[in-house]
Amino acid sequence: MTGFGRVFSSDLLKLRRTFVWGLAVLGPVGVIALQAVNFMLRYDWLTKLYAEDLWGGLIDNVKWLGVPALMIGLAIVASMMAGYEHQTNAWKQTLALPISRTAVYTGKIAALLVLLLISCTLLAIGTVLLGVLLGFGADVPVGKILSSSYLPLLAAMPFVSLQVWLSVTMKNQAVPLTIGILGTVFNLYSSSLNEWFPWRWPYLLEGAWSPFMTVVAGLAVGALLYGVGMNHFRVKDVN
Amino acid sequence: MNEWIVETQILTKRIGNKKIVDGVDLQIGKGEIYGFLGPNGAGKTTTIRMLLGLAKPTGGSIRIFGKDLKREKLAVLRRIGSLVENPSYYGHLTARENLEAVRRILGVPKSRIDEVLGIVRLSNEANRPVKGFSLGMKQRLGIATALLGSPELLILDEPTNGLDPSGILEIRELIKTMPKEHGMTVLVSSHLLSEIDQMATQVGIISKGRLIFQDSIQTLRARAQSGIELAVSRPEEAGRLLLSVGCPSERTDRGIVFRHQSDDNVAAVVKLLVERGISVYRVEEKKASLEDVFLEMTGGEGSL
Repeated sequence: MTGFGRVFSSDLLKLRRTFVWGLAVLGPVGVIALQAVNFMLRYDWLTKLYAEDLWGGLIDNVKWLGVPALMIGLAIVASMMAGYEHQTNAWKQTLALPISRTAVYTGKIAALLVLLLISCTLLAIGTVLLGVLLGFGADVPVGKILSSSYLPLLAAMPFVSLQVWLSVTMKNQAVPLTIGILGTVFNLYSSSLNEWFPWRWPYLLEGAWSPFMTVVAGLAVGALLYGVGMNHFRVKDVN
Repeated sequence: MNEWIVETQILTKRIGNKKIVDGVDLQIGKGEIYGFLGPNGAGKTTTIRMLLGLAKPTGGSIRIFGKDLKREKLAVLRRIGSLVENPSYYGHLTARENLEAVRRILGVPKSRIDEVLGIVRLSNEANRPVKGFSLGMKQRLGIATALLGSPELLILDEPTNGLDPSGILEIRELIKTMPKEHGMTVLVSSHLLSEIDQMATQVGIISKGRLIFQDSIQTLRARAQSGIELAVSRPEEAGRLLLSVGCPSERTDRGIVFRHQSDDNVAAVVKLLVERGISVYRVEEKKASLEDVFLEMTGGEGSL
């Protein structure tokens, strides 16, 4: 196995019996449950509002809850994963092993992405189930549900990179968590912001930039922050 | 001289304007138990962190197994097992899972886990979450982790810190078996001289970032030689008298002290003094402990 593969499998093992799995499930389940309540309470009004495209209305509603959940969730999970290493200063053990720091850092991001992908998948499945239960018909817009479930994650890559960087390099997790929470709040009110603000990107709104363009921007800035964070991690002294 | 397992040259670590480690030349031979001794804050842990590539030196070089650490870091680290300060562990995982997390990175066979658990006698506790372990058990798990990759060099930083006496004894005995049974070289640091005295074959003493002593434990012990103290009525005169017969001495509050001599010589000195009319009140043997030597070398910085 390559260095990265070995670190990655070790990282997944370290998450055994931790609450990060619960969070990864709780996030999408919570979003779908809230939307179920929303649609059941206001069924007549909402079905009249979205009469032309019932599925589209549901997908949009899910997105407006799902994106903030994704933003706060990735900050919390990144912090928890780094926290297991910080708690007993396990960094000095891990980094004294014959493994490159690049692999260690990439392993952490990869483990976080696996968890987020699970969340996105559950969100997609949940959206389908909810739509069918609400009687929106068997004509499920699979492509739209998939892109609305997974693309926000790609557009949110700058935040994945940023939160991993902060959580891994700072012992005090209050700082990355605060930044993550503030970012989520900012994200909630970002739809009126200019295209250049990354907080707006995960919603993939139609505007001056197409959703495709937004995803590309998200991946590019995410990759850039990943590079900057890793370089910092590589030269950092470990206490 | 044989090839050194660890050799540093003017190894230096500066943080801001302060030199935490200042021009340290460590030399550790194969099969030795090298006791790395110094008061808290003298630079032991920083030196060890540099040996493990956890911190970057600001000056000097490190060669381990004859290889430059900077250039061949991963190949060198593969042959080192380490435990730095407090044990690192994942509390929610069992002892076995903790070892497995490291095993996956090292890529050694699964059977090694049971072997190292056996060595540190944790086999019966293997499937319990580590957060419920006593400090001694966590420390043993840390040593098991260090042994997992069958290292040729074992680096243990303060492995007995915070343990009770039986835990200390246990870890010490474990360390002593390593060179004999597994052919390892061990670098073990401590701020307790008595600890090092009981297991090390070589000693390096660091104080305020500088290596002030590096030699065999016997050489260090030889420094702790005993002397003979005489309580006499006219110390000054007695001192001059002894010097005239070729026996230098030093003044103490009660009299004079000179280096240990054969019984006959001591008797001769006493006789000489008495003949010259100087009263000898007491003849005592004064033993300087290793602790005294250590304190003297480190300038009295707290060693306990």
